[in-house]
Amino acid sequence: MGGPDLPVVLELVNITKKFPGFTIGPLNLKIADDNILVMIGPTGNGKTTILNLIAGLIKPDSGCIVLDGIDITHQPVESRNIGYSFQKPNLFPYLNVYQNITFGLKKKDKKNKDYQIKNLVENMGISHLINRRIQGLSGGEMQKISLARTLIVEPKIMLMDEPLSNLDDPTKRNLRVEIRNVLKKQKIPCVYVTHFEDDVYALADSVAILRNGRIEITDGLRSLLSYSNNNLSPFLSEILHGGYNYIEGNVVGSKNGITTIRIGSYGIELLGNHSIGSNIGVLIRPEDVILSMEMVKTSARNIIKAKVVNITSNSDTALGVIDIHLRIDYIHLVSKITNESRIHLGIKKGDYVYAMFKATSPQVIREAK
Amino acid sequence: MDIKIQRFNIIILILSGSVIAYIAYPFISIFTFVDSSTMIESLTRPQLSNAFILSLISSTISTLLLVFFGIPLAYCLARYTFRGKSILKIIVIFPLVLPPLASGALLLGVFGPSSPLGSSFPSIEFTQSLTGIIIAQTYISSPFMILTSQASFESVDESYEMVARVLGKSEIETFIHVTLPLAKTGLIIGILLTWVRAIGELGATMMMSYNPHTVSIQIFEDNAIGGLRQAMPDIIAVIMLSIIALVVVSTIKKKDQGGIKIGWS
Repeated sequence: MGGPDLPVVLELVNITKKFPGFTIGPLNLKIADDNILVMIGPTGNGKTTILNLIAGLIKPDSGCIVLDGIDITHQPVESRNIGYSFQKPNLFPYLNVYQNITFGLKKKDKKNKDYQIKNLVENMGISHLINRRIQGLSGGEMQKISLARTLIVEPKIMLMDEPLSNLDDPTKRNLRVEIRNVLKKQKIPCVYVTHFEDDVYALADSVAILRNGRIEITDGLRSLLSYSNNNLSPFLSEILHGGYNYIEGNVVGSKNGITTIRIGSYGIELLGNHSIGSNIGVLIRPEDVILSMEMVKTSARNIIKAKVVNITSNSDTALGVIDIHLRIDYIHLVSKITNESRIHLGIKKGDYVYAMFKATSPQVIREAK
Repeated sequence: MDIKIQRFNIIILILSGSVIAYIAYPFISIFTFVDSSTMIESLTRPQLSNAFILSLISSTISTLLLVFFGIPLAYCLARYTFRGKSILKIIVIFPLVLPPLASGALLLGVFGPSSPLGSSFPSIEFTQSLTGIIIAQTYISSPFMILTSQASFESVDESYEMVARVLGKSEIETFIHVTLPLAKTGLIIGILLTWVRAIGELGATMMMSYNPHTVSIQIFEDNAIGGLRQAMPDIIAVIMLSIIALVVVSTIKKKDQGGIKIGWS
């Protein structure tokens, strides 16, 4: 998983766990070094249980878990050296921020790691909180402290169980970018479970899709996104192309509050200033993508010629709305339009159309400097 | 509708007020028995001070014994699932539901001079001694420590313990550094309630060890010999001690509700 060149850091081999009325597995999964694997699936499909199995909080009925080449299936939780970030930050209320962050360190390590602690809290933008009490901190600050507490013990792998689910949207957006950047900077591989599609686009190098306690598919993010809906089951199609278009590209220009990113042979404009050379990922709502059969003069900053590769129904089809699947170089883009519009424009599979969206439409979800 | 609500409030107020008056009036009535001219003299009687000191020593030892043995049992009941747990829970409540005199009689059957234990260790004075008092007080006050601590452990979110384990702490380290600090308020309240209950213990102590006198037995005896007027200074001394304990308990509760936590370290 996550590229053939990288060594495997964690491997699940035929893991099963039975509960009354529900069985997890058999699970087989490999996570490569420095890779962020986002495990997505509906609630109640065993995502948290898989993390608990890896962490050692519950024991599998069969199979084995190999971490860094060592079978850890029967190792106690505390000696596995696995970081685990829970849904709630679970900061100890009787300790201050510094004491919380250094909780997992041995006494002698606290002094030796002074430099790393300073570096980490500065990287995560929480150095000003270091002597504060926990009471009165915001949800986002608490999650950052919780993450710092886990990272400072230098785990071999990080497990994250929807740590952003209780936060508001702007905080979520910022933290997603920060989580990815800090994991990459510290070179810590991660298994991140979620049921939010946004988390996949913001964080994943690779994706595992879970259904009924089994992994239905695992692949790299880019490779998964290149699947057209024809190749996917309705379940996967709903998860992967349920709400957004995701595109990624390098910043080639940024001035006057407009940034241009290069997608294949096209430049896409979006709001905000970003460093030139950085790689950013954006989400575009299919409802925002307007189609035209010919080039028109419009206020939309982004007009791209695209090939119609498919026309499918969706959950809104009963209301007369359909999905037009477009291919632009290697990018897959979906436009949601009414069937009446499609008939009016005469759009059919194989046609070339102009896809348009405003610079205000793309929402930056991932940024790597 | 409003009149109905008003009527309901009035009924609640009258019923609540009656209970409060019923509980508080005996305290107020103390003043009808107190003879201020002899009060100081009565309070400094050697019998009372000896009984008071004995009660403080014995109740502190029984409370410490319960801290040592009762808190682990409470943790066990709160955290582990095992066969026979419900029977164990019933056993723990026994001393609370049995009349203290009956508990004392049962203890005599175990520790009395003619019991197998008493006759096996004739050199140890299990009855009519400080040991006897401690045995009785520990037995009677044990549910206060175990049940309060159990509730306190149950209120600790287990995910904090999981975090500590994942961060490399062993089970014992997790218990000391996470579970105890989080359960601290309930545990302290349990300790104080146990201590106060041990001081007030009479029935089982009388059966196990009438002599030397604890403060409760001194109250009983003074009342039997000289009536309430003679027993009143002893009662006032016990009331003062109970008030101090209650103030400490309510202060801790208040601090905890306000989110102010005091670390163990």
